[in-house]
Amino acid sequence: MRDTRPGAEADSVVEAHDPAAWREGLLLGLPTLFGLGAWGMVVGVAMVKGGLTVLQATSMTLIVFSGSAQLAALPLLAAGAPVWVVFATALVVNLRFVIFAALLAPHFAHLRPFQRFYLGYISGDLSIALFLQRYPRPAREPGKLSFLKGLLYPNWGAWQVGSLAGIFLGSAVPTDWQLGFAGTLAILCILVPLVVNSAALCGVLVAAAVSVLAHGLPYKLGLLVAVVIGMATAIAVEEAQSRRRGRHG
Amino acid sequence: MDDGYVWGAIGALTLATAFARCALWLVGHRVSIPPRVQDMLRYAPACALAAIIAPDVMLDARGGIVLDPANPKLLAAGAAVAYYLWRRNMLQTIIIGMLVFTVLRVSHVFGNLG
Repeated sequence: MRDTRPGAEADSVVEAHDPAAWREGLLLGLPTLFGLGAWGMVVGVAMVKGGLTVLQATSMTLIVFSGSAQLAALPLLAAGAPVWVVFATALVVNLRFVIFAALLAPHFAHLRPFQRFYLGYISGDLSIALFLQRYPRPAREPGKLSFLKGLLYPNWGAWQVGSLAGIFLGSAVPTDWQLGFAGTLAILCILVPLVVNSAALCGVLVAAAVSVLAHGLPYKLGLLVAVVIGMATAIAVEEAQSRRRGRHG
Repeated sequence: MDDGYVWGAIGALTLATAFARCALWLVGHRVSIPPRVQDMLRYAPACALAAIIAPDVMLDARGGIVLDPANPKLLAAGAAVAYYLWRRNMLQTIIIGMLVFTVLRVSHVFGNLG
């Protein structure tokens, strides 16, 4: 690896815009952009069908930029759940990004805080996975930042274009078609890869069952109760498994 | 829906998302998350997503639990999971799931009429 001196001069070399690295990031992410645009479109349709106005849906997609949290919020809004329940639910749904941030942030710890903030804010699941395949180590390297931007900016753009198309499509399509169900199907596609082992599967099944049984709880609290019980189940199953492995090994 | 309520919710979503995504970026240097906490961070979103969609799939309009083939959403969701496990393609999965759902729903409607 190249030895970079500390100091302003070395900084400007390492962080200078590198068009080749930017293009490399863009090309690597390109195949994912269509799926992402479609996912954005589904969320856009679901928001309008969920009762938001075009202005509200457009603002939500531009500001929040988190499909799973937006979809999670729709049934809560329809039921008039308190804002703190909406907050807690969105936080739980987004917890997976804490792991991603822990992996990705050390690569860019030297940047200004504002830059770190917006890079974190626009980093989606797929971009982070692709970035970490290309740069597994957090050492500073020329072109790294441009590569990340080549992944993130088109990613953000594809999501927003799809989402805005969905918002306008959604207001044109009759409610009878029940296009909102596409949002549920999209969540299934995000959920399946998160089921990484049998402990996670037990947790997911228990959470689903509890959420259905606890549906009538006030303030839509059934959802948070389901998450807590599901997570506790997954951890208990995992512990039981590792104890059994410990006995046999 | 009350306008102020929706804007408040949008603000809450923004704060929650920003906190989850950006907090460790702002801390900056390497943070090592214990494996135990990592498990919780990984299991929680999976459980949350399951808890979000399960009522939509398993409850009818009056809040009754419907776990039989007369529930088009249940069959469509099953078909979608099977297809996704096979092809790992979100767009195709959504299209297949919507097709199954719509065909079942429309045929049920006509079945009830006849």
